Amino acid sequence: MEQTVKNPADGAPDYNFAYLDEQTKRMIRRALLKAVAIPGYQVPFAGREMPMPYGWGTGGVQVTAAVIGPNDTLKVIDQGADDTTNAVSIRQFFAKTAQVATTEKTAEASIIQTRHRIPEKELREDQVLVYQVPIPEPLRFLEPRETETRKMHALEEYGLMHVKLYEDISRHGHIATTYAYPVMVDDRYVMDPSPTPKFDNPKMNNMAALQLFGAGREKRIYALPPYTKVKSLDFEDHPFEVQTWEDECGMCGARDSYLDEVILDDQGNRMFVCSDTDYCAERQEAGHRGPQHHDQPLGTADRGKAAE
Amino acid sequence: MTPQPQSAPAQTSEMLPGFDHAAFDSNAVFRALLDAMSRPGRIYDLPVSVSAPDGLNKAATATLLAMADMDTTIWLSPSCATKAAGNHLKFHCGCPISTDVKQADFAIARISDDLSFVTDLAVGNAEYPDQSATLILMVDEISDRPSMTLKGPGIKDTHSLSIKGLPASFHAWRAENHHLFPCGVDVIFASETQIAALSRTTRIEVN
Repeated sequence: MEQTVKNPADGAPDYNFAYLDEQTKRMIRRALLKAVAIPGYQVPFAGREMPMPYGWGTGGVQVTAAVIGPNDTLKVIDQGADDTTNAVSIRQFFAKTAQVATTEKTAEASIIQTRHRIPEKELREDQVLVYQVPIPEPLRFLEPRETETRKMHALEEYGLMHVKLYEDISRHGHIATTYAYPVMVDDRYVMDPSPTPKFDNPKMNNMAALQLFGAGREKRIYALPPYTKVKSLDFEDHPFEVQTWEDECGMCGARDSYLDEVILDDQGNRMFVCSDTDYCAERQEAGHRGPQHHDQPLGTADRGKAAE
Repeated sequence: MTPQPQSAPAQTSEMLPGFDHAAFDSNAVFRALLDAMSRPGRIYDLPVSVSAPDGLNKAATATLLAMADMDTTIWLSPSCATKAAGNHLKFHCGCPISTDVKQADFAIARISDDLSFVTDLAVGNAEYPDQSATLILMVDEISDRPSMTLKGPGIKDTHSLSIKGLPASFHAWRAENHHLFPCGVDVIFASETQIAALSRTTRIEVN
């Protein structure tokens, strides 16, 4: 058997531009136009099998394939990071099948596909944010029947969701939902923002960029047009709050970004670091330093061991 | 070589070309439509050059080439339903063309037409509001003169939009249409070289 090893830069000439055939792209594009016209409503679409397993962002990849053009610059993040397996493989997929430019810099991207984070840097009007969504139906764990959840959306019957949040309060004293925190879109549809930390919910409100959501296994597409009201569900006496940290980023010292906790050893040492790798790298380039940055002299931080 | 409609045999020599490059041109037109629908009232230039058959203008033709296929039923108003337009769409899009406006996924009309058909367009239903028609209205001129002030999702403060020759009956229908939300019809205005859209969410103040 003849073996040909193709350089990704050579593209994949046996496939149509951006992998999907034109008829599939048209079908997805029609669903996208309906999705932006009905913000927060889940439009069914004929999701295709993609050359990656469900759970790896097949919905986001199909949306990106329908939207991306030869002049776009693509950034892909997984939990905020550009350099994780999922992000790297999707970025290479489009570099190969669409020969588009790719970047790790938020500011340089025209399309950003994301798994479960919104970049810390404010997005612009000329950018599109594509979310990978596992379970698009916010009511699914409360009501498993699709026929019923569809009726609940039709009738704007969202009492059950408030009961769920109330049960959080009665059990824990506060709303314990920390990710996939339900939002109300333009005072009409309750929407799952995908499993982003609730820290990112406020960024969705009135965002300048267009936000598109693709769920491959569940075959749903939904969208938030720019400058759309997105409100996290809450109660008057238990208002919505985002996570806060007492620590700063160990690398760049940021106190305003979403921090991941990294366990360093079995002695209880740990550090916090920005989940958004581009944000952190940009701050480090600008000279910001956190206590565990390798530039910092040992022992200056209270957890000096972590600096090694 | 090409599928010939029984009733109106077309000569291949009379056929106008579709997109120069199917993937790139349809993507560029779709991106303009996506931008237009997600920012209602903002005006976008048609990003490609296409030939329009008799009965259609360029932006409407490009919109249909990018969006229509065998899964979408097209309805053409009497003034658009020329033999050339029908053959062009059947050949390049392979889309069914219906004379029943209720069946339409995309309805195409001129602004000077009798627009009373709009009340028959599909608006979807409460459970599937996406099963609605899109109206493509061919117009002479789109501008941002403030004859209409638009508000709603996709609009930061307000957008101004002016469509030459838009009748008062259109605004009455649009106001009704807006109240049907989440059901309703979305509108794409297509001049020869530009497009703008009104989503069903858009609130219009006529100045």
